Amino acid sequence: MTLDLIGQLAWTGFATATYYSLFAMAFALVLKVNRVWDFAQAGTMVFAYFALYVAYTELGWSVVPGLLLGLVVTVAVALMLERFGFDVFRRRNSSILTFFIFTIVFSQFAIYLAELIFGTEPKTLTPTLISPVFMVGKIVVSHWDLKAIAVTGILALALYVFMRHTREGERLVAVADNPDLAEAYGISRKRAYAVSMALSAVLLLAGIYLFGTKAALFPSTPLNRLLVYAVIATILAGIGNVFAAGIAAVLLSLMQAFSILVIGSKWQALLAYILIFVAIIFFPRGVVLPERLSRLRRPAGPPSPDDDEGAAGEGIPAAGPGKR
Amino acid sequence: MEYVYTIVILSCVNVILASGFNLILGYGGLVSIAHPIFYAIGGYVSALVSMKLGVPPIFAVVIGTMAAAIASVGLSVPSLRISGDYLVIASIGFQLGLVHILNNLELTGQAGGLSNIPSIIELPGRTLVFSLIMIVVAGLCVLVIRKLVNGDFGRAIIAMRDDEEAFSALGRNPIKLKVVLFAVGSGMAGFAGSLYAHFFLYLTPDDFGIFTSAALLTMVVVGGAATTWGPVAGAVLLTVLPEAIKFLDLPVSIMAPLQGVIFTLLVIFFLYARPQGLLGGRRRGGGLEVWSSRGAYRSPDGGET
Amino acid sequence: MSSSRRKSYVSGSWRAMKVLAVSGALVAMAWSPSSAEGTLKFGVADPLTGPAAIFGKDQMQAIRWAVEDINAKGGVMGRKLEAIILDHQAKPSVGITAVNRFVHVEKVPVFITAFSNVVKAVAPIANRNKVLMLSVGANSPEIKNLGKFVYTTFPLADVDMKALPKYLYGKLGKRKAAVLYVNHETGRAGAKVFRDNFIKAGGKVVLFESYEQQRSDFTGLVLKVKSANPDVVHIHSVIRDFTAIVAQMRQLGMAVQVTSYQTAFNPKMIKALGKGAEGIIVTALAPSVQDNKNLPAYLARWKKAYGREPIGLPYTQYFYDAPYIVANLYKWVLERKLPPTGENMRKALVSIKTMQLPLTNAVTFKEDHTVDKPVYYWQVKDGRFQLIGKSR
Repeated sequence: MTLDLIGQLAWTGFATATYYSLFAMAFALVLKVNRVWDFAQAGTMVFAYFALYVAYTELGWSVVPGLLLGLVVTVAVALMLERFGFDVFRRRNSSILTFFIFTIVFSQFAIYLAELIFGTEPKTLTPTLISPVFMVGKIVVSHWDLKAIAVTGILALALYVFMRHTREGERLVAVADNPDLAEAYGISRKRAYAVSMALSAVLLLAGIYLFGTKAALFPSTPLNRLLVYAVIATILAGIGNVFAAGIAAVLLSLMQAFSILVIGSKWQALLAYILIFVAIIFFPRGVVLPERLSRLRRPAGPPSPDDDEGAAGEGIPAAGPGKR
Repeated sequence: MEYVYTIVILSCVNVILASGFNLILGYGGLVSIAHPIFYAIGGYVSALVSMKLGVPPIFAVVIGTMAAAIASVGLSVPSLRISGDYLVIASIGFQLGLVHILNNLELTGQAGGLSNIPSIIELPGRTLVFSLIMIVVAGLCVLVIRKLVNGDFGRAIIAMRDDEEAFSALGRNPIKLKVVLFAVGSGMAGFAGSLYAHFFLYLTPDDFGIFTSAALLTMVVVGGAATTWGPVAGAVLLTVLPEAIKFLDLPVSIMAPLQGVIFTLLVIFFLYARPQGLLGGRRRGGGLEVWSSRGAYRSPDGGET
Repeated sequence: MSSSRRKSYVSGSWRAMKVLAVSGALVAMAWSPSSAEGTLKFGVADPLTGPAAIFGKDQMQAIRWAVEDINAKGGVMGRKLEAIILDHQAKPSVGITAVNRFVHVEKVPVFITAFSNVVKAVAPIANRNKVLMLSVGANSPEIKNLGKFVYTTFPLADVDMKALPKYLYGKLGKRKAAVLYVNHETGRAGAKVFRDNFIKAGGKVVLFESYEQQRSDFTGLVLKVKSANPDVVHIHSVIRDFTAIVAQMRQLGMAVQVTSYQTAFNPKMIKALGKGAEGIIVTALAPSVQDNKNLPAYLARWKKAYGREPIGLPYTQYFYDAPYIVANLYKWVLERKLPPTGENMRKALVSIKTMQLPLTNAVTFKEDHTVDKPVYYWQVKDGRFQLIGKSR
């Protein structure tokens, strides 16, 4: 392996890490604010993808109208999941079991529905996956690469500005930190939940658009492949750190790309699955950086007075009176 | 009739799988999507020891069962030590990872799987005979679980479920209990897998993926979690229903995803409308809601957001 | 009765009735007499859903047309041929269920199936129940050893993957090969045969790697190929993966010779790759229009019905011919007034041995359950496949 091949690997690895990063940020955001491990995001990705697919290949629309349709569909799905799913179960005091089952099964449902309507063969959003390239030194840079990096960078920046410097964003963070206290100050929990789901929908749509213009997608790819990285990155970054999750995803993806130098191609996919274990066993509280101790979050369920003591406990305290 | 006997055998295999899964999910409150993997481990280990080491199928089945139970510890201990909620995530990695390994290892036949596995029964009319054997075996499994859950063990489970902190305070170890539950349930899955392997004589990684996870979840949730006969009802229903759908002569190409859509919609429907499943209920107890947050703490507004 | 007792009684008995009704329907199916008197049935199991469905659909069209054509000409001794088509999704477990249905419910004496992994899984059923099984299109070399009742009508991988390396080494002077293959039965078996024969011919295999069917990003793999610096890359793939790999290779500036086997004989691939497809060499085991006089009409039929060529054209030629084989077997059995059992159909196959078929010329079923055919080499030139050579 020569130096410029390694450079190429790094560059293309970095470019493809962009969609993983978007998925990770979406997952981390909903976990932070809504306190739900939203495995239904894989299903949301499926809806997003096929909305784009219909717009581009069946209706023949151009890029922007297609994205608008995708946006409408994805945001609608996300809001409905929150309103008719998470909210209902929250109000019923449902156990975390119910949330897990609901989100995973929703994703499976979306996949089977897509297979039913569109068939099980892999699909692409564009008739050809080849985009124009040019050389930077000895490294091949494609238009797709630049587009992906630009889109991800802009969205990440926008999210950052939103969360840190706007009223709405501050409200989100307040609800994430302590919903009861936030409500006492007149901040609407429901609104925050809805906003966070809508934002995650935007990130998911962008991610799946980028993926879909680079590679073919089986309806089951979001669940089997894409979501897995989002989950690992979220755990490694520590719950509550949305942007750290985005960065963690980039690092994970680069690691995956470079693994070809060390292991056979057929074992590459295994890496992600092994990483989940490593993440859980060694870094359940995230890779803790000295300046910010990640605040531990409780997933779905009624808030409890234990909330503020969560940081002192081990891992995620479970819903319900005791730890599990 | 051969066809009907085969369906009976498959139903019994599913009853064993669903009952074991119910032990883990319904009684233990542990969400894991990796149950099919223990099914696979049982099947593959059993097949391999009989193929490579010449162990007679009857003993191979025992070895397969134990292998599955032991393997489950590899999943449950690391994740439960951290948190029960992390188990679901670890199980996703475990499931996808092990399927990937099965698909790529020379030993397990890679994507082609294992064929010509030694048969556990070789008689004329083997399907009929085996179907009768399986009915008995499945019945025994269900009764074993029932016994387990109604005795001291069961009381410990309920105590842990109702108030885990008090449970620990009394010196009982909830993690140990869960690991044991997980091992028993997974061992059962391995048992089912070994029986399957030595009757159908063919194993392939495709049978142990996410579709099977979804099907098992449907069986338990729809049948009624944390009940004895719920998983049985779910298993029989979900084995027979897809076969019946096939006879409706729908366009062949939509059959498979259609089954998937029906399974998942059923689960979602039951989650909303009848979390206790078909057979759970106020009188008999059980259902997913036994795991809702209850006990000492109630939020001031009664849980309304 | 208390209301909750009544409720659980009702829900319990409702469920019981449902299960009973469904089981009743099943038993009725199992005992119903076979369909319309007089039709000569045979089973066909192929993927109609799943990643391989893209082939399956066109293959089934070929079968349907063949059955229509045979029946239009009077069928077999006045009786009509009937194909019972089931989806096996290229999954062994689904294939087993489908074949069980053929054998125990439809009671056919012969069935056709494809895809090496399914073929291997259902072989024991055919052998145990003495039903003749014809494998069409699957090419794992193990198929010849699958049992007394298992025959292939299609040459196994040790035919085309033996010839191709020799051609590349001898005719095109290639010395260093990289072999990539998709991780399934066909991919593995084919890639192994290619590798062994390329080495035997005197060449060197500089890379031998597999990838899973669902993979979409091949950058790392392609870069590994680039660093191994081969002068030919053989890809034993399905369809989408082939296109993705070659696309990424061309994007990264690799103009190396690419070869594949019959699944890449696909005009859609050329369209998707554009200029990148030029020069790709693909082997095919079915005759070209130069060698078969019925092929032009067949192609015209596809153009008329679908406006395109069939996907996996050479495979569909074999599938079109399969009902003709079945018809010949039935004819032999009926002429001798023998009952159409699997045993007798097999006897027919072994005695007839050589048949002339409409789209694949002659086939001879050898003692060792294999068939031999000439290998055709096609290369993409100016956006279409052009014949550049033939072996034997």
